[in-house]
Amino acid sequence: MKTRERRSGLAGLLAVAGLWLGLAGSAWALDLDELMGLLAQTRSGQARFTEQRLVKGLDAPLTSSGLLSFAAPDRFTRQTLLPRAESMSVEGNTVTLSRSGRSRSLSLDAVPEIEAIVEAIRGTLTGNASSLRQHFKPTVAGDAAQWTLELVPIEPRLAALLAQVRIAGKRAELRSVEMRMADGDRSLMAIEPLPAGTAAAAASASAATATATAR
Amino acid sequence: MSLAAPSAARGGALSPHQRAGLLLAWLLAMLLGGGVIARSQFSADLSAFLPASPDTRQRLLIEQLQSGVAARTLILGITGGDAPARAEASRRLGAALRKGGDFDQVNNGERVGWEADSQGQGGAGEWLVQHRYHLSPAVTPERFSVAGLRDAVDETLSLLGTPAGALVKPLLARDPTGETQRIVEALIPSGGPRSVDGIWVSRTEPRAVLLLQTRASGADLDSQAAMLQRVHQAFDQATARTPALTGLSLAISGPPVFAVASRTSIETEVKQLAIAGTLLMGTLLLLAFGSVPALLVAFLPVATGVVAGIVAVSLGFGTVHGITLGFGSTLIGEAVDYAIYYLIQARGEAGPTGTGFRQWQRASWPTVRLGLLTSVCGFAALVFSGFPGLAQLGVFSLAGLLAAALAARWVLPALMPDGAAGTGLRRPLGAATAWATARLPRLRGLFWALGAAALALLLWQRSALWTGDLASLSPVPRAAMALDAQLRADLSADDERTLVVVPGADLQATLRAAEAVGALLDPLIERGQLASYDSPTRFLPSQATQRARLASLPEPALLQARLGEALAGGPLPASRLGGFVAEVEAARRLPLIDRAALAGSPLSAAVDAMLLQRTPANGGGWLALLSLHPATGQQALGTEGLRGVLAGVPGAQVIDIKVELDSLYRRYLHEALWQSALGALAVVALLALALRSWRRLLAVCQPLALAVLITLAGLAAAGVNLGILHLVGLLLVVAVGSNYVLFFDQFTLQRSGALPGGASHDTLASLLLANLTTVGSFALIALSQIPALSAIGQVVAPGALLSLLLSAAFVGGRPDTAPAAGRV
Repeated sequence: MKTRERRSGLAGLLAVAGLWLGLAGSAWALDLDELMGLLAQTRSGQARFTEQRLVKGLDAPLTSSGLLSFAAPDRFTRQTLLPRAESMSVEGNTVTLSRSGRSRSLSLDAVPEIEAIVEAIRGTLTGNASSLRQHFKPTVAGDAAQWTLELVPIEPRLAALLAQVRIAGKRAELRSVEMRMADGDRSLMAIEPLPAGTAAAAASASAATATATAR
Repeated sequence: MSLAAPSAARGGALSPHQRAGLLLAWLLAMLLGGGVIARSQFSADLSAFLPASPDTRQRLLIEQLQSGVAARTLILGITGGDAPARAEASRRLGAALRKGGDFDQVNNGERVGWEADSQGQGGAGEWLVQHRYHLSPAVTPERFSVAGLRDAVDETLSLLGTPAGALVKPLLARDPTGETQRIVEALIPSGGPRSVDGIWVSRTEPRAVLLLQTRASGADLDSQAAMLQRVHQAFDQATARTPALTGLSLAISGPPVFAVASRTSIETEVKQLAIAGTLLMGTLLLLAFGSVPALLVAFLPVATGVVAGIVAVSLGFGTVHGITLGFGSTLIGEAVDYAIYYLIQARGEAGPTGTGFRQWQRASWPTVRLGLLTSVCGFAALVFSGFPGLAQLGVFSLAGLLAAALAARWVLPALMPDGAAGTGLRRPLGAATAWATARLPRLRGLFWALGAAALALLLWQRSALWTGDLASLSPVPRAAMALDAQLRADLSADDERTLVVVPGADLQATLRAAEAVGALLDPLIERGQLASYDSPTRFLPSQATQRARLASLPEPALLQARLGEALAGGPLPASRLGGFVAEVEAARRLPLIDRAALAGSPLSAAVDAMLLQRTPANGGGWLALLSLHPATGQQALGTEGLRGVLAGVPGAQVIDIKVELDSLYRRYLHEALWQSALGALAVVALLALALRSWRRLLAVCQPLALAVLITLAGLAAAGVNLGILHLVGLLLVVAVGSNYVLFFDQFTLQRSGALPGGASHDTLASLLLANLTTVGSFALIALSQIPALSAIGQVVAPGALLSLLLSAAFVGGRPDTAPAAGRV
């Protein structure tokens, strides 16, 4: 009798200890600079994305998918493959937008609204804390294993269009980006990181499918 | 030489009648000249230094530079205080200037004029939306087929759910095919200044920037000057009452500023140079003569020369440019030389009173005349220059020198037959000059060495020597140009260098041709070879194009049916697009857009800037000017490539303004080199004819050649960018320096007994004085703010001084030969 009690007491103690250790591990909260440091360790990367946009006034959500890639310090490309081929490619202060066979280049800092949105993604991917603080009020929640970053725009003109950006990630990878517009529309992007090298193959395969569909 | 009865015919003194007659003739000539001057026109327009050119392309270019859009652009920069203060000042200034009515466009980053204003009057934005089916380049019959509608609506939907969607959503029900987006796409500038708080700011400096377009033409300097005043007043008013804004300052730059400022500076400089020159000469002459009557008489040839010069330019060119007058101050220094030679040298002659001038005419006048002729050769080379400004300089100096010399020979004897009475500091000056002249020949070796070094330097630097460009001819100070470059960089405004000019017999033909050019340029933009272009057809398509677009719009019933088919199963049901169908129907009934329809909106100024109606004198018809914005990057297409692309459009020309102007400048530099060389050769030929001896010719040319070499090398070593005007200056050194060399040559002859007389201290003093007045007057213009004048002054002042020294060293006779003892 006494041995069983002692054994269950020991087990309980061990269980509590295990629980306590587990909690301790996940209770290591992050702040912005630590998160950015973590993200900055990855100098480049590619990912596949699927995006769903919920717009008031439309009967169904709009979906699109494609590829994302970035390279430190200031390069970022979003290439939409379905349903229409489009791309947004940013390098330094210049953004090149292409749609339906037409492309235009702009200076980012001449159109602060675009600059802020680009920085929300590019700044996070490259771990640029100062840029994020310049355009947004950032709030970090979670720990290194699973974190969320909430960005609220500072510039009033942008705040009138965009209410909030919420980015979720695991360790040094982004997993989702959710944008909430001021008028209630929402856009949710799920990101699936690709190992380096597969991105090019995936791009050409999808591009071929996309052009075939478009014709 | 005792003459019992003075007789003019035999070479005696002048009778009172003769003297009165000469003076009266002179006075009459001056009065006539004064009359012509009173009715002359004076201008200080920058364009006098733009070359006159027969080429149509270049004439067009110069027309554009003078009165085109570029000539009416102003850039403002607000500095000081902190960023919010500058932004507030920019907003207030923008509002004040928009109300003022001086400007067609006031851009400071705010999006004003596109929305409806407070009275509910539609802004330009509403007009664009209403006419989108006339203006959108995507409106084709295929667009309104089932597949086309689906594609267009999908494209519009792809913007929704992004922050850009908030701008697209309000129009979604009216314009689901996105015509408004297509129109706006073409208007987004590819570069552009940084925008903070909705206001344009510099990327590199703490400065807010604004871009304005004036209503007044660039050629109307008085309106431009008044308008600049009003801008400053508006700024002062906008910032005066608020303490946070008081520390701010405004900088303005742009062609109107340059034009007005250079006119003012030319006018001020001319006055300053004239006064300074007169004072300097007056002081020198007083020192030399010590008597006021002599001073006054000495200025007589100067006055004659100036009057003759202005009259000649006025009669020959119609208007007299301010820079010519500024240069004319050097004429004071040269013309007074003839008076100096006469007044000093006529005094020293032995003989009865009243005949000194005759001796002078026999002994020294031939030398002076030869010197005059060489100067004339030098300036004559300028007269044939392609630059109207330089040609004026040449004519002015030619006429002035001739008149001054003739006045010294004919009129001065009437006033002072025996030269000047006083001696002033002449004796010490003469003694010092004699001493120096005796010593200088010892320095021949040094001068040869300097000359060799100069030649070596020039040969070594040969290719990098002539680095001046058109900017070096313009009277705009460098600091102002630097500010302009900074402000343009802030705005990311490219230089607007590349233009495509499309002619047409009438307005519609021109618009069609411009559309053809646009169709050829669009693929270049896609491939990244061109950033963008501005065309009047974005807001004013040709009527043929507008009709074609409206004809592609289907009837309401048909459109509704196609919409239903296209959008079946999609997220946007066709039933919500009733407004769209109604608006398409309304658009089919709208009248075509013409220039009158645009009037009153901010768009009309943009279109008017790009369409020119040519006068019948210029060939009639219309011109469309498309401004091209080059791409940055390796794929950017150069002017040659563009010409190849546009070869199919008849009459279309691609002009790169900077390249054209630079090539024009190089051509004229080349011409100027030839003209200067010919002018120098003419001088040498003249000397050869007059001296009739190879040995003497060589002796005379040596110091001149050395003076030119050493001056040129000195300037090159000092890092001066040499241009056409420095070349002109070198020619003048030869022309002016030859006067001194010829006198020393005369002394040599007199020493050897071939000519009567001798190099008295007085004569030497007169040479030194003449040289000092010339060097002084050119040194004065070397200090001018006007680059054109200072270039000539920088070359001629040291060159003339060197000519005197080298003449004394090389032609002054054998070393250690003392000149004849001075006579009293």
